[in-house]
This record gives sequence, structure tokens and C-alpha cells, in this order.
Amino acid sequence: MYAARNIDLCSKDCLCLFVCPTGATDTENGQIDKNACLDGCRLCVDACPSHAIYLVYTTFPEPKKKNPEVLEKLTALMEKTYHQELMAKALGKSSQNSGEQRLARALEKSLRIVAEDCARESGYMLPQSNQVRHLLTSLLDTADKEQKLLLEKLI
Amino acid sequence: MNKLKAIPPILTNLAKAAEKQLNLDESKEFQELAMSFYETTELPVCLASIEESLQEKLQNEYPAVQEKAAAVGDRGVLRAFTWSKKVTSIQKSLIHRYSQTGEALLEDQNLYICEACGFISLGKNTPAICPICKAPKKRFSLVK
Repeated sequence: MYAARNIDLCSKDCLCLFVCPTGATDTENGQIDKNACLDGCRLCVDACPSHAIYLVYTTFPEPKKKNPEVLEKLTALMEKTYHQELMAKALGKSSQNSGEQRLARALEKSLRIVAEDCARESGYMLPQSNQVRHLLTSLLDTADKEQKLLLEKLI
Repeated sequence: MNKLKAIPPILTNLAKAAEKQLNLDESKEFQELAMSFYETTELPVCLASIEESLQEKLQNEYPAVQEKAAAVGDRGVLRAFTWSKKVTSIQKSLIHRYSQTGEALLEDQNLYICEACGFISLGKNTPAICPICKAPKKRFSLVK
């Protein structure tokens, strides 16, 4: 568990610097050095007058198992949405009108976000979960060399 | 599971999750992996065909998800259903308006996307709050 700063809320009162035993909160990039942060110490979280510091967890519960029938319907929705994203992308490239191109790019982006939401609710919410590890492992079979390299890092 | 056809959005969602955990290297790897699975379709596409496909989704896929999720009381899925069905209606309505008014619809107007739910806003300024998911102004990005 380590501390992180929400820079939008930070009022630069810098009370976190007073209490941090390791200097992890005093960095040039506005973020807290998570490698120097003491696991779960939370002194800076409590000292911050602007509630700008929070703790990021490093262990998570395994997500709840989804009902198979719900999963089947949600997967169909996600796949159709991804297909529509690819349609929008193709239109963005082929259209000759600048407004239409912009609309196509907006649709492409919006459809991706909708598909990602379906992915999240289909159980692919947490990178550390077993379901994600299973998916990544299953992708190894058909992966090319570069994909294998990335997959092995992530599994 | 390896028959899944929507690998890139699953992976970019995981990239975002890793980023929220401040695991930036892992996030980048998910992002790169997502790009490597990204496909391109060479099919000729027009706005009307996208509109038609969105309409099909509103008629078939959305009610199917709602029925099953309501039957087992999966509130997370019902939440995703509610947001994304509204977003889909907005997408469809924008296409429809463009088909009526053409390029004039977008002249001197910006398009903003809510990064949380995908809502598309057409206007001169960033919305103060997302009308669908209530995300704040800073979650909107401008479409260039």
C-alpha cells in the first residue's frame, strides 16, 4: 500500500513534507515516490489539510464471479460495440468531410469507452485477477514474438 | 475464452486500471499489447450503416443484457447497461442530426467525450458535469 497525490486537490501547504519519514512526498514531479513510501504508513494522508493524498492498495480481493448467462449477453454487447468502433475508425479514414471525420473519431472513442465498460463488468476489471491471468495465458497460443514478450511480463 | 473477439478494449481497460494503481510500466505494456491486437476493417463504411448497427444494438443486445442482469440482480452490469444504452442513443442521435444538417452541424462546434462513460457532447465549451454518469468537467477530452 502506498500513498499517491491527487494534484487537482493539492493546495501546496506541504504538510506532507513535515511528516514523511523518508522524504517520499518531496519530489520534483508532483507525485509521491512510491518506491520510497512506507507500506501503509499513512502519516501524509492524515496530515494533508486538503485531502489530496490517498492510499493505493497493492492486494485486492478476487472479483465476484459473474453469472454465465449475463456474461454471454454482455460479451455479445461488447463484441458488437467493438465492431462498431472499427466501423467508425474506417469511416474516419475514408470520409472526405472534416466534420464527418471528427464525428467518426468521436464515435470511435466513445464506442471504445462503452466496450471497456462492458469488459470491466464482464470480470476483466482487475489486472491482478485470475480471470485476467487466464485470458492472457490463452492468448499465448497464437501470439507472435513481440506479443509473447509482453504477455510474459504481464502474466 | 480464446474465442473472444474484443481483445483490444479488454486490454485498454486493464491499462487504465493499472494506471489508476500507478503501475505505469504495466499500463504501457497492456496498451502496447492492445495495439498489437487492434484490427482494421477495409470495408466501405458510411454513417448510415453505423446508425443502423447502433439501432440493432438498442433493439437486441441491450434488452438481452438487461433481462439477464435484472434476473440475477447484478447491479454492476445494470449500471453499465444504463450508462451505455444512454450513450448509444446519443451516438445515434448525433449521426441522425448530421444526416439532416450535414457539415453545418459541426461548424464552430466542439466534440467532447466523457472518459468515464463515453458520452459525446456537441458544443462550444466543455460540459460542467456529465449528464449521464455525473463525472466532473476534468474527465472530458476534446476530439481533435
